[in-house]
Amino acid sequence: MNLLENLARASLLFSLWLLVLTADLGAAERGQTGVQLKIDTILASNQNDDFDPRLSGMKNQLAELKYRSYRLLKEETQKVPWQANATFDIPRGRVLGVVPQEYRNDRVSLKVRLLEGDKPLLDTTLTIRNRRNFLLAGPAHEGGVLILSISVTTQ
Amino acid sequence: MMDCEAIKRSLGTWLDGALGPLEAEAIERHLEVCPLCLGERTRLERLEASLKSVLEERASGIAFEPFWGGVRQRIEEKRSRHVRLSDWATPVFSPQRLAWAIPLIIVFLIGLFSLEGFFPGWFGGQSRSNLTAVESIDAHGLNVALFRQSKTKTLVIWLFQHQEGEDESSGESGQGQPSF
Repeated sequence: MNLLENLARASLLFSLWLLVLTADLGAAERGQTGVQLKIDTILASNQNDDFDPRLSGMKNQLAELKYRSYRLLKEETQKVPWQANATFDIPRGRVLGVVPQEYRNDRVSLKVRLLEGDKPLLDTTLTIRNRRNFLLAGPAHEGGVLILSISVTTQ
Repeated sequence: MMDCEAIKRSLGTWLDGALGPLEAEAIERHLEVCPLCLGERTRLERLEASLKSVLEERASGIAFEPFWGGVRQRIEEKRSRHVRLSDWATPVFSPQRLAWAIPLIIVFLIGLFSLEGFFPGWFGGQSRSNLTAVESIDAHGLNVALFRQSKTKTLVIWLFQHQEGEDESSGESGQGQPSF
């Protein structure tokens, strides 16, 4: 019986330790200093059947867009603190601005702005899972379409 | 060869016939040559005989019939649901068991949430946690289409020029007229 009581006490202490550990993990999530943003600029077209091997990691995603050819034009990575505005140059004088706003439940909230000169083309706020990407498509370029893959990883 | 102390310790078991053949034989051989242990055997046998006679004498005077009747009555007695529930719950919710159950539940819940982190969407929360959620969007006069594919966890924001008669809700339409 004494052994049982000791085991029960030990298990209660263990559960307290687990609660503290869980709280600590939550604090770690809040303690992220910023995000790493990666912008891949891809040219999609129907001019040939070439697929850039550097895009093999996104093959399934790009296949949804039904173009025949995909070529990586540029990739750029920036480390961005929370609430700071990171700008990325896109072909033909366009600029992509991204502001990481918040990190909660393994999801990052981003404010994204696409500009052509001074003219805004798109303003959006979205929430994306950490270490995932989304695609922004549409700008015309060299007989095809530019696709921007915006990936986010917390730091 | 066993010494007298060991023999004395085993004598009671030997008298009950509960020793192994080798050990029993060793005791028998020892008793043939050791008067002290033989005396101990005799003392134990007398004690056993006395106890047996006392028990037999007293037991004949005990009325077992009312006792067994009471036991039978308690077995056959129909207990209320409340009492049965209490009998069931008392050992189940004992402090020791609860002390084990609480950390087990915590470990289970932490495991559940951890799995959701490692295998997003396995707990039926795919649409909630896996896909990118657009909270607001303003395309400043351009048309915009959102294309989602949960299998590849893809969200595409597609911008395209407005054309008369165009189906604005379709991402496919954007592929034909992407320029702006």
